[in-house]
Amino acid sequence: MAPDAKPHDVKPHDVKPMKPEEILHLINAQRGSAICVPTMTTAPAWRTIAPDDLSVTCVGFMGGASSLGLGLALARPDRRVLVLDGDGSLLMQLGSLATVAGAAPRNLVHFLFKNGVYHTSGSQGIPGGLTVDFVAMAKGAGYRMACAIHDLEDFKRRLPELLKAEGPVFVELYTGLAEQTPMTAGGGVPFPQQVTDLRAKLLKPRSRACEAAYA
Amino acid sequence: MPESIPATLIIDTLKDTFREARAALAAEVAEPPKHSHLGWILSVPDTHQKTVLAALDKEEQIRVLTCATEDEATTIAAGLYIGGEPCVLMIQHAGLYASVNTLRGVAMDGQIPLFYMIGLLSREKDKAPRESRHSMVRYCEPLLDTFGVPHARLDGPDDVHLIPEYYRLSRARKGPAVVLVGLETI
Repeated sequence: MAPDAKPHDVKPHDVKPMKPEEILHLINAQRGSAICVPTMTTAPAWRTIAPDDLSVTCVGFMGGASSLGLGLALARPDRRVLVLDGDGSLLMQLGSLATVAGAAPRNLVHFLFKNGVYHTSGSQGIPGGLTVDFVAMAKGAGYRMACAIHDLEDFKRRLPELLKAEGPVFVELYTGLAEQTPMTAGGGVPFPQQVTDLRAKLLKPRSRACEAAYA
Repeated sequence: MPESIPATLIIDTLKDTFREARAALAAEVAEPPKHSHLGWILSVPDTHQKTVLAALDKEEQIRVLTCATEDEATTIAAGLYIGGEPCVLMIQHAGLYASVNTLRGVAMDGQIPLFYMIGLLSREKDKAPRESRHSMVRYCEPLLDTFGVPHARLDGPDDVHLIPEYYRLSRARKGPAVVLVGLETI
């Protein structure tokens, strides 16, 4: 690191970061019937790429994506749950790595989009920037598998295996900034409606009256 | 004068509450989750309810997940709810204070029914909580009032009916509902 460099200027590898949107397209193509939990900068792109899938966005409670995904994974062990997390978000509830590992959901894959900044609030560096080793943290917490991927071709090649592996699986993805953030994109389905929609898709209410009652 | 509540009574009441919740869901949806357990306790260990937590360790019909923080517990509960699983959060008042933003974002703004059992650690037997000399006891009910969260207090074995009542209330209002555990359980 250059003497005057800030910690978040440090790049772990001298490679071009992956585009988040390209990663999300690849995940969408192979997710099957998985439930997906995007958050922050993955959210606007995901709702365009996968508008009708089984998704619920962690919005309004930053840092909660891994926990929301864990609850879904425990409730629905018959389905894969894919968490599309951010590094700044995960730092807000870092203890969730231990809670996820302790619960040991075999069906959970935790993707971490690591860009080193709080993109949504203006790209301020996260504490520790890109030097934070989330893979070591996930391994130390007890995830069954944890790895870092820096190259889109490598991600493309390994994704099928990652989606089938026994969880909890943690995948740190070295990415650049997304084209949109929740602040620039705006809109989107409100969280309560997303909850109602996903619950209906998973549980299948018997009638419209029931749908209103149980939601 | 308030009395302590036996752990077995609370656990039996929780089992009944979970059975009722599963039956209600099964009547309403075509594909309720099928599990061998009755429901979930999401706990950030509470000194006040430690006898309940110890007894739950031996329970096979209730799954207990210990969470690192109350923020996590609240959000995991949301995921369980979306997936159709009944759950109860067991925390203490300090944990409520620590997680108010998640309570707001998930349970209130998210309109997710969440039922909490919150221990009033250090509550004096001869005082109403609002008159406690301990700020963590004194501020709990006013905080819930400020957020518009309905709450009731378990001040003895005769009050355990409040557990299923407030669980149902959380479902009916699509938001949080709380019972406060007045004295340490036995």
